[in-house]
Amino acid sequence: MTRVLITGLGPVSSIGIGAAAFESGLRAGHCGIRPIGSFDTTGFPRVLGGEVQVFDAGSILSRIEPEEWGRSSQFAAAAARLAARDAGLQWERIDPERVSVVIGTTSGEAKVTEMFAQQLVGGGFEGVDPDIARRLPADRLSSAVSAELDAHGESMTIATACSASNYALGYAYDLIVSGEADVVFSGGADSVCRWAHAGFLRLGAVAERTCSPFDRDRTGMVTAEGGSMLVLEKAELARARGAVPYAEFLGYASNCDATHMVMPNASSIADCISAAHETAGVKTGDVDYVCAHGTGTPANDVTEAQALYEAFGGDVPPVSSIKSMLGHTMGAASGFGAIASALAIARGFLPPTIGWSTPDPEMAWLDPIPNRHRQAPVRVAQNNGFAFGGNNAIVMLGAAS
Amino acid sequence: MTAVAITGAGVLSAAGRAPAELAAALSGTATPECDPGEPGLGVPGFDTRAELGRKGTSFFDRRTALAVVACRAALEDAGIDLATADRKRVGIVLGTSAGSVKSSVEYAVETFTQDRPHMVNPGLFPTTVMNCAAGQAAIWFGLRGVNATLAGGPLALVSVLRYGANLLSTGQADVLLAGVVDELTPHAAWLARTTGLPASTQPGEGGAVFTLSAARREAAPDAEILGVALGFAPEFGDRPAALGRCVRRALASAATVGADRAGDVTTVSMRSTADERQDRAMWRAVCRAAEEAGARKPESLTTRRHAGDCGAATAALDLAALIGRHRASGDLDGRLTVLAAHSPEGAVGAAVVRGWSRGPDQG
Repeated sequence: MTRVLITGLGPVSSIGIGAAAFESGLRAGHCGIRPIGSFDTTGFPRVLGGEVQVFDAGSILSRIEPEEWGRSSQFAAAAARLAARDAGLQWERIDPERVSVVIGTTSGEAKVTEMFAQQLVGGGFEGVDPDIARRLPADRLSSAVSAELDAHGESMTIATACSASNYALGYAYDLIVSGEADVVFSGGADSVCRWAHAGFLRLGAVAERTCSPFDRDRTGMVTAEGGSMLVLEKAELARARGAVPYAEFLGYASNCDATHMVMPNASSIADCISAAHETAGVKTGDVDYVCAHGTGTPANDVTEAQALYEAFGGDVPPVSSIKSMLGHTMGAASGFGAIASALAIARGFLPPTIGWSTPDPEMAWLDPIPNRHRQAPVRVAQNNGFAFGGNNAIVMLGAAS
Repeated sequence: MTAVAITGAGVLSAAGRAPAELAAALSGTATPECDPGEPGLGVPGFDTRAELGRKGTSFFDRRTALAVVACRAALEDAGIDLATADRKRVGIVLGTSAGSVKSSVEYAVETFTQDRPHMVNPGLFPTTVMNCAAGQAAIWFGLRGVNATLAGGPLALVSVLRYGANLLSTGQADVLLAGVVDELTPHAAWLARTTGLPASTQPGEGGAVFTLSAARREAAPDAEILGVALGFAPEFGDRPAALGRCVRRALASAATVGADRAGDVTTVSMRSTADERQDRAMWRAVCRAAEEAGARKPESLTTRRHAGDCGAATAALDLAALIGRHRASGDLDGRLTVLAAHSPEGAVGAAVVRGWSRGPDQG
């Protein structure tokens, strides 16, 4: 069977832009969460967010003009450009028809939606800039990446909310295995916006001072943003060009809770974990690290912990939430999880859960890799992604043999 | 790819609620008019509570309600009884452009008009995400299989068919509810008119959901998806050629997958835009590719004159109308249709569909 390697990483995040900076951020346990600056937070009782405040799309992009695209598309395209450089692809030897793009997102161009609303309030539909209509469609995220890379293969945007990157990565893997593509750029992108911040606040899900997943006293998540991109490459071609892979893509699974739009379901997640292990051909004992969905809300973390306990028969490997550093980057989140997992495998360290101080008695057994990264070999990593709509997706990565 | 069977269709539109009604509308001459005060051609009389009742629907937006009703109609049409099905093996794949734009924009409006900006309705928050309709449909029918939402814009249907074919061929599901449905709201109408509708086209509403499964020789499907190919052309001038390549690839797949009962391309569905010149170039590219495979002057099929422009869902209505036509006449058995699509950004795609009339002899 065709094997698939991860040969390039492109994170555009609040803790680092580019693979090296992101790895340093993970190792150091940097926190990218700050008071929100991209919209006026007057009147909001909680104001933290994980914005990429230093993002300068123009300094990264080579082909597309940033001003032609919304912020999420810029994140996606910039992340893809960084991933392409990181992979060291020899473009002159690649058939562009065999390069595909699969991008996940929750809210697409959320800032464009926000602007639409603001202008509508100001002057009705007549007062709305017609360019908003052009910029709003979410399929523009994958189009921006395809245009930036001059990739002529399939270009798809998957909108399964906060597990969308894992859905995208799974489909990207299938494109290579089925022989449809040689190289696929896959990951996710989303932007911090006023209305999603408000929505999560009203759900009672937003953290007060810090995001501390798996801590007894955790108060919630914070909305965040960025672009997360991975280069998936047919193993044979990657080996032939002498690429040094980060990891091998072993398999994935997805399912649906079908019980509640916003409350995750432990047994359904446990089913998804077991299915992912089965398709990846790994046993629970092979998994050395779980990159958790770990949003930091009281309910989500305990549900995820229960699901892990059930699926692993009580013997759960170390589990961390990089959302403690990044916040919840929505559709980009499981892409960042996949990047962190690939780095964990390639460099032999476990990313920490920062801001952690007190074990939660409901999951006292859980090792959250508190506050400091840990040197440890990682043979197999499991990357969790869950979402509104009960859309669960789990990706399994392993050491490239 | 391996062939995918379409075994049923659930339809909602201003031109009818069944494949047969859509097909009949195509052969009629009547062109519907918008009701005064309406932003376009809505699904007549569609009301969430009247269709689905009160229980479980309080936080449905119109797009979600339309999608659930279309899924229900597709299951009925296909004769699938979920009570006896393994619901972990039944999935949903829905296409969209940006979800319910009214839901997300109105949610954002609330944050600008209230004294306390975060006092939005928590129950409506899920309507702002694009996968709301697919997630609610899964809850409604208790479907725990793969549940995906694809933002494909004009390519939504071909993307859904492509993604669905992959799920079936990799064994991730046995049956899929797959389609594209969109709502008519003042927001959707504004988007449609602003991005440019062709002359004398109204914004519309509705779409279609199909039941898909892996094609089996003994079954009698309405239609089979024999090939789907997608691509991208960043440069405007390269797009007709890129679309032509997709048609060739999809037809090559059809020639392999469906070689047992080869047919000719007689029909093409492609949503026209406000750019007539580009549309003509695209049409020529599609026809040239079809003619290389033996077609002679394929006919253009479009539901837009009768059902309005339903954005991402327009192609789904075209496919439903095609199924209606095939059901009505065995003379069309085995003929091929190309569903072609292109986006303003340069995404291109094509699917090749072979239609059958329903009947015991059509195995």
